[in-house]
Amino acid sequence: MRTAQRFRIWRNRVRAIVRKERLDQDLDQELAFHLEQLTAENIADGMSPREAHEAARRAFGNISSVAEESRDQRRMNWLHDAKQDLGYGWRMLRGNLRFTVVAAASLALGIGANTAILSALDTAFRGDLPLPDSKHLVLIRAVPLQNPENVSNSTVPDYLAWKERVRSYSNLGLSIANFQDLSMTEDGAPPERITGQAVTLSLLQTLGVAPVLGRVFTEEEASVDAPARVIILSHRLWQRRFRGDPSIVHREIRMDGRWLTIIGVMPEGFWYPHPAVDYWVPLGMTAAQKQASGRLFAVTARLKDGIPRERADAELGLISTQLQREFPEREGSWSARTQPIREQWFGWLRQPLLMLEGAGLLILMIACANVATLLVARATARRSEFAMRAALGAGHGRIFRQLLAESVLLSSIGGMLGLGVAWLVLKLLNGTQPPPGGIALPSMTLNPAVFALALLIALLCGLTFGILPAFTGLAGAKSLHEQSGKPGRERVRGSLVAAQVGLALILLIGSGLLVQSLQHLVDEDRGYEPEGLLTFEFRIPQGEYLKQAESFHGMPAAEARPPTATMQRVYDRLSSLPGVTSIGGISQPIVNGILVPTFAVMREDHPAPETGSEREALLANYFIITPNLLATLRGKIVHGRDITADDTASSPWVAIINESAARRYWPGEDPISQRFMLDAAEGERQRVVIGVVHDITTNATEGPHRPAVYTSYLQQPEVYRGFNGNMFGQMVFALRSPGDVSRLIPAARQAVAEVDPNHPISNVASIVWWGGFVRINRGLYFLVLGTFAFVATLLATMGIYGVTAYAVSQRTREIAIRMSVGARESEIGLLLCRRAMMLIGIGLGGGLVGAWMFAGLLRTQMWRMTTDDPLTFIAAAIFLAIVALIATLLPARKATQVNPSVALRSE
Amino acid sequence: MPKPSDLLQGTLDLLILKTLAREPLHGWGIAKKILALSGDVLSVQQGSLYPALHRLEQQGWIEADWRDTELGRPAKFYSMTKEGREQLGRELETWHRLSSAVGLVLKKA
Repeated sequence: MRTAQRFRIWRNRVRAIVRKERLDQDLDQELAFHLEQLTAENIADGMSPREAHEAARRAFGNISSVAEESRDQRRMNWLHDAKQDLGYGWRMLRGNLRFTVVAAASLALGIGANTAILSALDTAFRGDLPLPDSKHLVLIRAVPLQNPENVSNSTVPDYLAWKERVRSYSNLGLSIANFQDLSMTEDGAPPERITGQAVTLSLLQTLGVAPVLGRVFTEEEASVDAPARVIILSHRLWQRRFRGDPSIVHREIRMDGRWLTIIGVMPEGFWYPHPAVDYWVPLGMTAAQKQASGRLFAVTARLKDGIPRERADAELGLISTQLQREFPEREGSWSARTQPIREQWFGWLRQPLLMLEGAGLLILMIACANVATLLVARATARRSEFAMRAALGAGHGRIFRQLLAESVLLSSIGGMLGLGVAWLVLKLLNGTQPPPGGIALPSMTLNPAVFALALLIALLCGLTFGILPAFTGLAGAKSLHEQSGKPGRERVRGSLVAAQVGLALILLIGSGLLVQSLQHLVDEDRGYEPEGLLTFEFRIPQGEYLKQAESFHGMPAAEARPPTATMQRVYDRLSSLPGVTSIGGISQPIVNGILVPTFAVMREDHPAPETGSEREALLANYFIITPNLLATLRGKIVHGRDITADDTASSPWVAIINESAARRYWPGEDPISQRFMLDAAEGERQRVVIGVVHDITTNATEGPHRPAVYTSYLQQPEVYRGFNGNMFGQMVFALRSPGDVSRLIPAARQAVAEVDPNHPISNVASIVWWGGFVRINRGLYFLVLGTFAFVATLLATMGIYGVTAYAVSQRTREIAIRMSVGARESEIGLLLCRRAMMLIGIGLGGGLVGAWMFAGLLRTQMWRMTTDDPLTFIAAAIFLAIVALIATLLPARKATQVNPSVALRSE
Repeated sequence: MPKPSDLLQGTLDLLILKTLAREPLHGWGIAKKILALSGDVLSVQQGSLYPALHRLEQQGWIEADWRDTELGRPAKFYSMTKEGREQLGRELETWHRLSSAVGLVLKKA
């Protein structure tokens, strides 16, 4: 029945728009008929037709105004009402400017931050990867049984065993990083270092991407021991270096001193396994590598259709147990599992983003609670207004619509500003640096669906808290008399305020902890001074000093003739650069080196390790350095002396160890003058410890220091047979100079070119290896969390202030009476503040518990994050309590200062 | 004779609905009938009548169609809808409550 009427009304409304002209004509005719009848009546009364017509016109009045008013009736009243509602809403918001600004700003922060962070999460964990059918692609990672979290790459034998035994995959392939120097080309482009991958044919097949030009290599070209000298270029390298030359296939280029034939170009936008890769060469496996235990190779696999990852993992586990039995030495302590590619690329983003999202949700909750507080308060204040309007004939629907309009207005303002906030946060997120192995997200964009969701949440919150109380108010306000607040609504308001205090405390403590850890990081004893250092890499291609040899201790090995003479010439030349205070070289990047060689340190007076795990326990990071390196870094020699130019091949071989190594190998003894061997290779000799250096932080994101051994580049075997032979041909030079170190770059480049024109320096940086990732990212967290914490505190304070101010306004008369019968200000103040203080107390209690849990989340995601610092917890709670108390006392004080007689008369 | 403005808006709606309850009529006829039934007291002016008719039509309480009068002249006839009948019931009730309340006040005061 009611539906029928609603339908009729809507039909009429639609008709009023669609058939406007017809209806207007009808109206004119209708009025004309009326006029005719009047005229006819006048004629019947005896007037002449002319007189009758005139009289009728007079009696009718203004025809067009009657027509106009009639037409108005069918105009869309609701459109008119909506405009009016928005107008009222706007006036209401402007009338409460302070509230509106804070509410809109907090909504903006909440909506914006959530939109940005959820958009980023969406891009990272749901978006398309630039690979065909990427959801079936996984990496197979080796899992050390002792430390299953620390998954690693795999060995060649692992790969071969999996390829033979697993049934869950349609294909799997192998890859390993490869760097080569592309020599000067005939068009005169200078030599440069480019980054690529050595891959098996099966890897390209697994990925399922075909070249746009030419072909991929054949199985024969990737044959064991002697892979063909062919290369596939990335689209980018082809465009950049060869200007997209369409006849590039079959052309020969010189890489690391060898001629390679270009056989193909991959499609635009294709990269694997990271965006910086510019070429792919066949990965030939030597017979030795097929037995080797070096976990250096990435295994990529494609799951068969319909095989879930869990099943593939179960199968891998089974095969691992077989392998553990078959090769206890190599596989005894290892298992394997799959890892989605997405996880490897973007996994580093998961925790930070989830944490930020947590903070974002908190701020959205606070914003909603704040808006709700206001609306509930408003509803209370307006109950009499609504009752009045209802009595004057406004329908509930109309009042509902007005509240709706207010909420919509507020949410829209918040949403609009939120777009700006989202843009800003995304900009910040786009600036975060991935750690080694991770990949920066492809530029993240705002996700409209997410934005709509955040806006909807804000809107729903406004509606729930804006309309429900108004309606309970309407129901209870049958009479216009009822004035005082209802206890139920007070409870809602009170719990909202307590919630705000609690949430604000969580954010305050969270950002406090972050500030502290940031401070720790800046002050941290890194064991050297990165500021003011210029670093660059000089590298001699392996082909010039290294050849593959038989295995050594069952591992792939090479025979190296360390190019010491060239290194020495480069070092000497660089040392004579004008303006250089100090210079030194080291075989691996000081921090975040990806493949730092490790060797077991065997004390002269201890038996050699027998099992793999015994050897494992003796491993130390191994660095080859030039004299002056530690002085240049400003590392601290705590005992003994530094390596000097007098430590030559003919003098006794020496070594410097770090404090961790001293503790590890000579606990409780003086390590100076102790002798040891490295289980490095043939050609290595016994070394004597001449110095102990304070631990130098080598990894920005990982756990405690590892033992390290430093030896002189002059004291190396002439012929070295073993693994890690490539450590001899590379040197990272660190150069210290007062003022701007980057001005020395051209001179350094020139100096190296004078000594060795074929090999450019690369990776030039004023030391940011360290910093980038950790410092920028923590700075970002701090900025976002700090802003949130500030806003949250502000909102909570305003909420408290509002509660007290409202309570005071409700009790003005009571206060006046108490004052006039002699109550003291402090008593009144206590009376008024009691409730607010209770709310603050409840909020702080809940907030402390929440913050403790939040800190747990922070700890899991950031290394060396201080989370159990009670001082931060207490300080934040006290700070918030004080601020909240001030907000309570202000209105209370104002109330007690009012002259009682004035207050009494005011009602 | 009371001026049209003295007729409360709600009252005019009530009168129109009541008039149409018996038979469909055109605007002129409605005005005539109200005048006649009120003993020539309530003269509904065009300026109030037609907006009221259009409002009631828009609300779905009455509907209109073009028919010929007895004299063969086409006119817009209004008739009552089912919802209009219900609305009339509600308005009558309100009216009776109000008038008896006013009556009581007048009697007792």
